[in-house]
Amino acid sequence: MSQGHTPSTEKRRPDRAALAIAVFLAALAGVIFWDTSRLAKIASYSGIGPATIPFVIASGLLLLAAWTVFEALRGDFPVRERQQVGPVAWIVGGLAAQMLLLKPLGFSIATGLLFALTAAGFGKRKLWFTIPIGVALCLVVWLIFAGLLQLSLPAGPLEHLFW
Amino acid sequence: MKQFFLATILAGALALPAFAADYTIIAPANPGGGWDQTARSIQSVMQSEGISGNVQVQNVPGAGGTIGLAQFASQSAGNANALIVGGYVMVGAILTNKSPVSLNDVTPIARLTGEYEAIVVPADSPLKSFGDLVEALKKDPGAVSWGGGSAGGTDHIAVGLIAKAAGVDPTKINYIAFSGGGEALAAILGSQVTAGISGYGEFESQIKSGTLRLLAVSSAERIAGIDAPTIKEGGLDVVVQNWRMVAAAPGLTPEQTAAVSADIEKLVKSAGWQETLKTKGWADTYLAGDALKEQLAKDVSATETVLKDIGLVQ
Amino acid sequence: MTTFDFLFQGILIAAQPMNLLYALIGVTLGTAVGVLPGIGPALTVALLLPVTYKLDPGGSLIMFAGIYYGGMYGGSTTSILLNTPGESSSIVTALEGNKMARAGRGGPALATAAIGSFVAGLIATLALAFIAPFVVKLALVFGPREYFALMVLAFVTVSSAFGDSTLRGLTSLFIGFALAIIGIDQLTGQARMSFGIPDLLDGVEVTTLAVAVFAIGESLYIAAQGDQGPDKVEAVKGSVWMTAQDWGRSWKAWLRGTAIGFPIGAMPAGGAEIGTFLSYATEKRLTKHPEEFGNGAIEGVAGPEAANNASAAGTLVPLLTLGLPTTATAAIMLAGFQQYGLQPGPLLFATNPQLVWGLIASLLIANFMLLVLNLPLVGLWVKLLTIPKPWLYAGILLFATLGTIGANPSVFELGMLLAFGLLGYVMRIFGYPIAPVVVGLILGPLAEQQLRRALAISQGDPSVLFTSPVAAVLLFIAALALIVPLILRARGRGQVLSQLAASED
Repeated sequence: MSQGHTPSTEKRRPDRAALAIAVFLAALAGVIFWDTSRLAKIASYSGIGPATIPFVIASGLLLLAAWTVFEALRGDFPVRERQQVGPVAWIVGGLAAQMLLLKPLGFSIATGLLFALTAAGFGKRKLWFTIPIGVALCLVVWLIFAGLLQLSLPAGPLEHLFW
Repeated sequence: MKQFFLATILAGALALPAFAADYTIIAPANPGGGWDQTARSIQSVMQSEGISGNVQVQNVPGAGGTIGLAQFASQSAGNANALIVGGYVMVGAILTNKSPVSLNDVTPIARLTGEYEAIVVPADSPLKSFGDLVEALKKDPGAVSWGGGSAGGTDHIAVGLIAKAAGVDPTKINYIAFSGGGEALAAILGSQVTAGISGYGEFESQIKSGTLRLLAVSSAERIAGIDAPTIKEGGLDVVVQNWRMVAAAPGLTPEQTAAVSADIEKLVKSAGWQETLKTKGWADTYLAGDALKEQLAKDVSATETVLKDIGLVQ
Repeated sequence: MTTFDFLFQGILIAAQPMNLLYALIGVTLGTAVGVLPGIGPALTVALLLPVTYKLDPGGSLIMFAGIYYGGMYGGSTTSILLNTPGESSSIVTALEGNKMARAGRGGPALATAAIGSFVAGLIATLALAFIAPFVVKLALVFGPREYFALMVLAFVTVSSAFGDSTLRGLTSLFIGFALAIIGIDQLTGQARMSFGIPDLLDGVEVTTLAVAVFAIGESLYIAAQGDQGPDKVEAVKGSVWMTAQDWGRSWKAWLRGTAIGFPIGAMPAGGAEIGTFLSYATEKRLTKHPEEFGNGAIEGVAGPEAANNASAAGTLVPLLTLGLPTTATAAIMLAGFQQYGLQPGPLLFATNPQLVWGLIASLLIANFMLLVLNLPLVGLWVKLLTIPKPWLYAGILLFATLGTIGANPSVFELGMLLAFGLLGYVMRIFGYPIAPVVVGLILGPLAEQQLRRALAISQGDPSVLFTSPVAAVLLFIAALALIVPLILRARGRGQVLSQLAASED
């Protein structure tokens, strides 16, 4: 977010995380170069083939990676907030659970779990309480959107009881 | 938020009576396109004609329908309640995308509708006839830019066929692919391209109002009510039809296939379907059974040849 | 009958109590579904269209108009309050709108969005009625080279309008470009960056990326702050309503937004989001309060929201005058119109005046009902922010994934949602601006395709890019927008200049 631009003058040592970003950008550029080099050279009448623009973008990414290294070495990256890993893990777990359970168990159970695990990430850890609430809420949502509005949301055992 | 949902439930309950699920139709495209409209038309006619109590339409967009087709073939095998809408564009997309799943992996039930390609130029174009256009193409293929739909689609294939029949190297055509018919039509009307090619329906109102000149249509014979020669009359043996079909899941028993076929036949013969065809301007090209299989095989091999000629498939 | 008679008659019919009720139901449904992140206007209209079939033609047309305007407007509420824009055209609204909401000024932000949408909708609908044939002529002048020039202008204005670091802004934009390469190349049918995965052949869906980097990234970031999150959200500070100063700063922005949004919406390859980008950049350059931009400037909400709704009416210009559906939403509407026996095309205004004017009258009424519905609700919406965080964010993720699943129920799509959500989270940690990623994904492919089309038509001669008068003017403006600030900064003189410089880097 908008933590202002506050160059930390006292610590002029390299910023490792920022260097990692530079590596990521360079790797992304490498993948683009590798992938587009295999494309057929259909240049047609424009003189610009399907590989031309990706080549330009990848070159830009390489330049940006170099620039990032430069700023990282100067310690020009903004000061970062302390991040807590726990809550993030809860929510990512919720999203992963929803993704894997959506097809076998249907929308309500999978998304109800996401609901409860997200709430857990924000401090409501009583899962025996939040999971039923989440599933019930999602079932209502399913009945409205899939039942009445015909949006295609996957149905599971629970939904089949009602529809 | 709650108030909103209550209002939603109320309004929804007023408007949509509930049924038990019978058919699920996959529309392998985004809402709004031809396949989506075909699927939704089948849905409403099946329900209003009482062929099926409840029909659901599910959009699985992507890659000329091949993503929906692949998903359908793997997830619906043996399910007699599952249908998918598809068409000629899919034939080309399967080839250009090297899709592992083809139309052989589903059970084609019937061809439903079809549309012929129309070749047009802006009203103020110096090209007065299809012959003029072919002459220009022969003289300098690069100078004739064709505006049409996506690369490797029906429009592109038709241009490739025309070039080949005219003795022009198909890899030398200057085809400009636009996303969706609207953008191509705008480019043609604005004289950004030399000629335009797309389904007749896309151009119909412009032709009638005189802003576009219709040079030729891609049917085998002249179409009633359309004042234009066929490409064949112009001396090139090219017939292209952009058809849409419906297919059932793979692995059905002959009885199941027959039951689905009977439902589709009932649909096609119903007054509601004929009415839909009229309002949408779709031609009835119903074809089923062995005749369909034969036609499909022909279309697939012809398409493969022309895509290789254009250079889109190696 | 004259134009006015037709319009007057249409309004009389549309203003009958029963039809007003249909309009209210339409805008309510449209807003309720459109408010969900990930469900854009196209899907909203597609979902709700069958509801209108059950009514008589007049009633269904008016309910349909309500759904359309409601769906276009709906996205702004969650963008402002929760920083979760669900479609491309409300991304810019979130930039300033959410900053306002965090400062306890969510009420005025929602109000200026609602009133701005109304003003823009009113002017643009009237413009649709009276100058559509002229606007469409202008739009047809735009060929590939003119669009390319427009994209260049959009890039320049947009990149200067985001973020406080040039490096991080550009990096975000280029990540968006890199994502935009994924999928089948439209002009040659070649698969790029797909690695043989069929799900990638169609590229990254803009709504998926937007929902992921905004809604999910935001939720992760807020959660990771624990209880001592730095930016405690204050639901309401001061009045829920707009002050005299708010009005004074909003009205010009509404008018400018309308003037930008309507013609861009009318262009066959425009799209609502480009109008909102240009409007935001314009407001940022013209404002008397440059220090507020990035911290919740009301002009930054008023202008883009007006542009968004004006382009919704603009989209109808090519649809009604040429039968050109230029957006997915318009394509679905075309199907809807056919239901009423209305065949859009160049002859429509001549052959079917009752229906056309009925539609335009319906749009005017629907626009009015949208205001009636949303202004009183501002106070209620703002209360959303008082919901305890665990429930609020659990609900946001529920609806964010609902939209994605509804549009395409695939495990792969949800995987992308998670991956891009993490991307959005990491970008927030390191202070990268979020919006340029989505902007890059939208504008990148458009610019590439138009450039290649222009060059193919000219058979490889790049001079065509500058020789068309429209393209030349657009490129000249783009060059000015790029160079002038650089020169001013280099000279480094004067009050305004240092302010400009401060906002640039």
